[in-house]
Amino acid sequence: MKAIPAEAEIAALIGHQFPGGTYKIEHWENFLLTGCTGAQLLPNGIAHPVALFHVPIMGSNTSIAEMFELGQAESDLSIIPESYDWEMFEPLKEEVTYDISGKIIAAERRINERGQSYDWVQFCFEMTSPEKILSARSIITWQYTRNTL
Amino acid sequence: MSEVESHINVGVINCMVGDKIPEWVMESVCPERMRTMAAILRDPNPLHWDRDAVAALPLGLGKRTINQGPLGLSYMVNMLHEWTGPESIKRIVMRFPQVVLDAERVVAKGVVTAIREQGGRRLADCDIWLEHADRGRLLEGSATVALPTPS
Repeated sequence: MKAIPAEAEIAALIGHQFPGGTYKIEHWENFLLTGCTGAQLLPNGIAHPVALFHVPIMGSNTSIAEMFELGQAESDLSIIPESYDWEMFEPLKEEVTYDISGKIIAAERRINERGQSYDWVQFCFEMTSPEKILSARSIITWQYTRNTL
Repeated sequence: MSEVESHINVGVINCMVGDKIPEWVMESVCPERMRTMAAILRDPNPLHWDRDAVAALPLGLGKRTINQGPLGLSYMVNMLHEWTGPESIKRIVMRFPQVVLDAERVVAKGVVTAIREQGGRRLADCDIWLEHADRGRLLEGSATVALPTPS
């Protein structure tokens, strides 16, 4: 069994800021992503909203693997996605370079209905267009389960 | 509507609270798409591409792969796009009470819970979910879409 991190270490994640950066959804990527969803390509260069999961993560210069590590996940299998909250203030477009920022906005130890401890972490990412308009916001909430596998 | 029949052809929509959103069907969740998705997402979690890793979990899922959460969510995006158009979605909040497994037939469904005006646009709030015939709701959440209006 892997040691459970101290509760204070989890709470200290609040405010952690990712480096930030830019991301352009290229046509080939939108084509493949859209195909994965079973839909046809959207018109007028609109990117499929499913991009709102990974684009903010990569664009803020982090990764799913690093997000696992920050919460001291005991394995890749131990993460449970609790919720995704995606706000779109304008359609995302292919071949547009977005400025992206991201940070941890909440982190705390919780107990589930079976009495097991887990750590609850919320990440918030924002995408801004070249015109400096907030285009989208993604809030990812994950549970880092402990010693349940 | 299913992925085979999928198309987007939206006109003016007159809907009321309680109206059902036209369903969107994924006839069989495809493991190859999970692999492509894992590569694009740089997602190291083997649950999406290694059936043995899933079988080793104490969950009784057998030798199946587990669909990525965003992919399951995307089926509801497709449903909403076909209902109100490709620029209509303003917000989606999704929870993941159950996993979606490869080869499963799942149906995206929804119902209108409120209609309101905001910033000169008519918005519909909806409950949305992804349903399996035997296991019930696998994903569930809410969405806000802008309703098409006469141009």
